[in-house]
Amino acid sequence: MNTGHYLSTMWTMAEFELRKLRHDPLPVLIRSIQPALWLVIFGEVLGRLRGGLVQGYDYRQFLAPGILAQSVMFIAIFYGINLVWERDLGLLNKLLSTPSPHSAIVLGRSLAAGFRSIFQALIVFVLVLILGINLHLSPLSILGTLVIIVLTGIFFSSMSTCLAVLLHSRERVMGIGQALTMPFFFASNAIYPIEAMPGWLQVLARVNPLSYMVESLRVLLVTQEYRRLLLDVPVIMFATVVVVFLSARLFRRILG
Amino acid sequence: MDLALEVKGLSKYYPRVKAVDNISFAIEDGQIFGLLGPNGAGKTTTLRTILTLIKPNEGQISVKGIDALRHPERVREISGYIPQGLSVDGDLTGYENLLFYARLYHIPAKEIRERIREVLEYMELTDRAQDMAGHYSGGMLRRLEIGQSLINQPRILFLDEPSIGLDPGARRMVWELVLRLRKESGTTIFLTTHDMNEADILCDKVAIMNRGKIVIEGAPEDLKSNLGGNILSIESLSPDCPAYLRELGQVLETKDSDHICHLIVREGEREIPHVLDFLRGKGIAVESVSLSKPSLDDVFLKYAGVRIENGDALRSVRRERRAFWRRSS
Repeated sequence: MNTGHYLSTMWTMAEFELRKLRHDPLPVLIRSIQPALWLVIFGEVLGRLRGGLVQGYDYRQFLAPGILAQSVMFIAIFYGINLVWERDLGLLNKLLSTPSPHSAIVLGRSLAAGFRSIFQALIVFVLVLILGINLHLSPLSILGTLVIIVLTGIFFSSMSTCLAVLLHSRERVMGIGQALTMPFFFASNAIYPIEAMPGWLQVLARVNPLSYMVESLRVLLVTQEYRRLLLDVPVIMFATVVVVFLSARLFRRILG
Repeated sequence: MDLALEVKGLSKYYPRVKAVDNISFAIEDGQIFGLLGPNGAGKTTTLRTILTLIKPNEGQISVKGIDALRHPERVREISGYIPQGLSVDGDLTGYENLLFYARLYHIPAKEIRERIREVLEYMELTDRAQDMAGHYSGGMLRRLEIGQSLINQPRILFLDEPSIGLDPGARRMVWELVLRLRKESGTTIFLTTHDMNEADILCDKVAIMNRGKIVIEGAPEDLKSNLGGNILSIESLSPDCPAYLRELGQVLETKDSDHICHLIVREGEREIPHVLDFLRGKGIAVESVSLSKPSLDDVFLKYAGVRIENGDALRSVRRERRAFWRRSS
């Protein structure tokens, strides 16, 4: 296999995703309404709870990294719908009839979803600034945040690719995607600390990759307890590699 | 003549159906070859198998001397493909749609610009290149799709139902392009169609496919003249009509319930009075009579026992195209 071709295929997939975004940025803007509401309504109300939900920080500071990760997940988890749509239209057949390696096409598409997530994240960042939520912003923390965001986008979009291959229809990917967002989101540390959960839920939250994504963002943007990254980053990497590998293996079956 | 494509004993089984059932055929270099048959005959599966998108259960495929099962990526390198449905992304410009595939075919960076310029010119899309493809008309969209398939200068071009869902003007445009392409660059063309008119106009050779099998193959002219005359179609409500007609000559068997019998006659005009007198003598009332030159549909009727149905497929593709417009507008 030609490594140059492999990488250029991946890059092409990602580049054209960005071109589409440039032609029509409206969908990304519309999708930022939901995270905005979480920050403005949920954050403001829960922040007023007596005694506070989290110790030592403004609740909105605690919430912002959670919403950042959540907004990326909510988009990426439905990525497979596009894939099924493109298969139904014929686009996918055309794509796979090129000499480009199929796994490079899948990886490139996941990378594209990761890039798309960056724009999602930028909008949430802007919201955070407008709301006056105090985050630790240094070149390094921003760079780290972008890396985690891209990995989160790749993880959930690859998961969605697997769902698309296994479920075969847009409606089913939509339904299962929606069913999955709930446990991923609520059984994580996105909106409350793991310590506040009952024991059985804590177990779930600790095997939930989203918890590690949220925590690493929180470390970078709020707490600066960097040693936690020693666990978070390897867990995220491992989880991402596993789903990416699975999606690349399953992908061929999508044409049936 | 060198062979551009050779298929031997090809089969593809799905859990409940034999989509392709032990078929063999060959295409010579520079030929336009059509796989003709009704929906669900296995044409698209055959095409995708040759194009290495689907793995066959049995059989051998050789494209320009390359073993397609062993070297799928080399087959894809020299092939162009226009799928049924859409291959254009409406959220990108016409230029970007070509650039995208130029990259995926690994065309060297310094040649890409020139290659795209040529294709745009050939397809007469130069002045609309920077417009979003989603705003193109049906005919322009098809031209862009053909352009995409030419970007790697393929030696063999695969077209899956090239004119399905197009209006008559766009359909004629596609036919002219296909013929011109073969004339100017000698590209071998493999197409599938359920439109016998299309097969008749374009193809040097057709293979008629039904239920996964090839029932007959040959040049359209030969297939039609081998029927041995013209077709006399007689409409009669009498159930005995086919039996009596069989005494006069060959009757094309039909499972359609339209009360029309098709009799092959050598000298059409002269034989009409004799046939009518004969039927009147047997007490058969005739509603209408018509005489026609044999079409590929009659050939299909002879070998498969049914007419090529086409209404459904057209409607479903039109639906898809409309859905695409909604999405991209």
